[in-house]
Amino acid sequence: MTDNKREPNDYLSRPPWRSPVALSIALHVGIVVFSLVGWSWSKPSHEPPPRSIQARLIMPEPVAAQKPEVKPPSQPESQPKPDPQEEARKKAAEQAKAEEQKRQEEARKKALIREKEKQEAAAKAKEEARRKAEAEAAAAARKKAEEEKRRKELAEKKAAEEKRKAEEKAAEERRKAEEKRKQEEAERKRQEQLAKERREAEEKKREEERRKREQQLATMAEQAQQQQEAAAREKAEAAAAAKARQARMASESEKYEALIRQRLSDAWYIPSSARKGLKTTLEITLLPTGELVSVKITNSSGNTAFDNSALSAVRGVSRFPVPDDADVFNTYFRRFSIQFDPETLK
Amino acid sequence: MMRVIVTMVLAACIALPVHAELMIRITEGADNAIPVAVVPFGKADGFQPSENISQIVHEDLAMSGEFKPLATERMLSLPTNGDDVFYRDWRLLGQKYLLVGQVQPAGGDKVSARYELFDVNREKRIMGETASVASNNLRTLAHHISDKVYEAITGNKGVFSTRIAYVTLDMENGKRIYRLNVSDVDGKRASVRLKSSEPILSPAWSPDGKKLAYVSFETGRPAIYIQELANGKRTRIAQFPGLNSAPAWSPDGDSLLMTLSRDGNAEVYKMDVASRKLTRMTDHWAIDTEPDWSPDGDSFLFTSDRSGGPQIYMMDADGGDLRRLTFGSRYNARPRFSPDGEHIFYVHQRDSYFHIARMNIESGEETILTRTKLDESPSVAPNGRLLIYATQEGGKSVLAVISADGGSNYILPSRFGDVREPAWSPFLN
Amino acid sequence: MIRTYSKLFALLVAMGVMAGCSSTGGTQEEGAYGSDVSAVDQEGGSEVYGGEGSSGVSSQTMTDEERAAQAEQAAQQEQAAMRKITTFYFDFDTSEIKSESRDVLIAHAKYLAANPNRSVRLEGHADERGTKEYNLALGERRAKAVERFLVVNGASRDQIETISYGEEKPAVMGHDESAYAQNRRVELIYQ
Repeated sequence: MTDNKREPNDYLSRPPWRSPVALSIALHVGIVVFSLVGWSWSKPSHEPPPRSIQARLIMPEPVAAQKPEVKPPSQPESQPKPDPQEEARKKAAEQAKAEEQKRQEEARKKALIREKEKQEAAAKAKEEARRKAEAEAAAAARKKAEEEKRRKELAEKKAAEEKRKAEEKAAEERRKAEEKRKQEEAERKRQEQLAKERREAEEKKREEERRKREQQLATMAEQAQQQQEAAAREKAEAAAAAKARQARMASESEKYEALIRQRLSDAWYIPSSARKGLKTTLEITLLPTGELVSVKITNSSGNTAFDNSALSAVRGVSRFPVPDDADVFNTYFRRFSIQFDPETLK
Repeated sequence: MMRVIVTMVLAACIALPVHAELMIRITEGADNAIPVAVVPFGKADGFQPSENISQIVHEDLAMSGEFKPLATERMLSLPTNGDDVFYRDWRLLGQKYLLVGQVQPAGGDKVSARYELFDVNREKRIMGETASVASNNLRTLAHHISDKVYEAITGNKGVFSTRIAYVTLDMENGKRIYRLNVSDVDGKRASVRLKSSEPILSPAWSPDGKKLAYVSFETGRPAIYIQELANGKRTRIAQFPGLNSAPAWSPDGDSLLMTLSRDGNAEVYKMDVASRKLTRMTDHWAIDTEPDWSPDGDSFLFTSDRSGGPQIYMMDADGGDLRRLTFGSRYNARPRFSPDGEHIFYVHQRDSYFHIARMNIESGEETILTRTKLDESPSVAPNGRLLIYATQEGGKSVLAVISADGGSNYILPSRFGDVREPAWSPFLN
Repeated sequence: MIRTYSKLFALLVAMGVMAGCSSTGGTQEEGAYGSDVSAVDQEGGSEVYGGEGSSGVSSQTMTDEERAAQAEQAAQQEQAAMRKITTFYFDFDTSEIKSESRDVLIAHAKYLAANPNRSVRLEGHADERGTKEYNLALGERRAKAVERFLVVNGASRDQIETISYGEEKPAVMGHDESAYAQNRRVELIYQ
């Protein structure tokens, strides 16, 4: 009992940092720190190897190259456009030429008119000449317009040809780029696949290892738990048995306590000088047969007659009623104390 | 956490053996008198003592109410000294104590007794002594042995060597004859100290046990006298008009409380014995009488009917702090303190009967001690264990002894007619 | 209670008989009281009856003086007869004079007043119940109650002496209510 009491007192008297709680907290913190450190050490093995970073860095390119892959099929269907600047220039030149011609014709006309007034006769001649000039001019214009047209058609033809060629070249280039892209894609895919496979293999390996480890741990834990459970079960069974035994012993002891109390009460002649409050404590040693080995006063009442009456009462019991069960006897009745303190006195 | 758990487990383990520490408490004893064997004392060859000492011891112990002496005829052996004692014999007879002894002439006029007391259970001699007295004083020796045995076993002083004063009334030739007697507590060795045809009342022992104060009507009027027992010398200390009654000694023996009606009504007065100076202690138109001084001398008890009927009151010796103590019935009177001053004993009416009752002054707890019907004049033994009182038996007044806690009852044998007014002496040397 | 009243009644009847006021013992009606009454009857009855018998004859030749003297004589005889009652009874633990005692006590008081040279001794008693010393005081209180009554009715204090014997001198031996009733008393004794 005293040990039991002293223990908590020790805790109280210790500095806080020495208290078990503090120690336990410290221990926990230590464990956490340790596990965190352990984590950081094992981190590289968990992260993808630096190689795979490169592999990943490739990834944005094919994504960008893919765009044209989707659009080009619609481009060849569009009409080849004539060069608008060329056309406008030609038109403007024609127009300006026409206007110049027009203006010159006008001016000739006017001069002709004025000449006709001055040269009326000549006008006729001239008229002829003019008609001839005119016809010549119209033929020339016609010829020029036809030429222009032919040239224009040729240019157009040429532009279309050029355009076709350019288109063909672009298509070729596109085809080549596509091919290259495809090759690169394939390469990338291959690389990716490789990396992936490698990663997967690694992961698989790690997983495997982890699984193995876990399995091992689980097995160990299971074993440990089984052991623990077995131990606990054993302990519980032992405790229950002990408790049952103790209860049985206690009830057995109570029975004999009552019997002994009765015997002693019958044997005790309280002296008339006894007063309430007097107490004598005796220590009794018995044989397993119930015979008295010894009795001694462990606490005197201070009243000799009273002490003697208690001693006499104990000596007056020829054989103490004791249990047959050796354990019960040894636990409770081999040596025990009796306190004589009259309650009924005034 | 681990340590706490471990500690708790350890604690639980430690707690178990503690339970095994058995302590049996005994709070009640045998509700009987203690069995004791007083073996007839051996006698020297040819020696015929005038008294049977062991028989007197036997009777003394029985009278105390605390012992149950074994009848001689049941004894298996009659040892006369410790060497012959076989404890087993006495244990078989259920005896707890054993007294053996021898009586022999001790030269001259003396007789000696050698006696030993044994604890049968412990098989141990607990007392032994050789005592001698004059040959005509064997009862004194016997009572001395009784006292020693009683004290060794009970732890209380014995009262077997104390004495009792009492008054007898006999009709002789048609005339009343009152006698004041003093005897041993067993009623033996009675001697008349005063004889009168007029009443004698209220004997009271002086604290030193050498004098008696009493009331005598021998002059035709009541008067208080003090008589020295050794030489019979008498002094009349009070004969005032009216009542002169109920003398009670102070613990120091220097003064007496008494009841006088010299001022017209029964009141308690204190008289200084040497100077006869009177101090009036009570002042009430009612009857105030039957005073008794407390053992410490600080206060006194008396009976007063100031409430309408007689009840017991306590008052400080200086006249202050008047307290009524009894309320239990309409008649409570003639109080006497216990030697420790904690209790009072008094006459208590219940229904139409008068019993002796005891009250704890502190708690007011009242216990009726007697079952007899017309009980009077309680007087407590100096060890507080026994009480003597007067009662009626067969139409006559007799004295009875009862244990002060209400146990055994013992009627003192009386050779004469009415016996009354017992007064237990203090311890005598 | 009933017992107390019956005693009172018995005493009353007995007083009447002793005082000569009642013609014969035939007035006793209830046999249940017989024993109590007879006990008291025997004590004082015969004297009372003997004292009354002498004044039986009368004649017409008497003068007024004679008649007056005779009346006086009769009164005196009556007084004297009353004075023969010298015991007065009380209830338990009281000192109150009973009404039936009053006429008798007045007769004594008148006699004492008329005869200053006479004196009386009043002895107070109690029954055996209760305590001796308290009973002594109670007996004294009874005696003093009677003394006061006599003084009030003409007697002088100097003529009266009181003493209490408490329960020491019972008139009747016995331990029943009948004996107690007869022992709770004051006796008046001419010296």
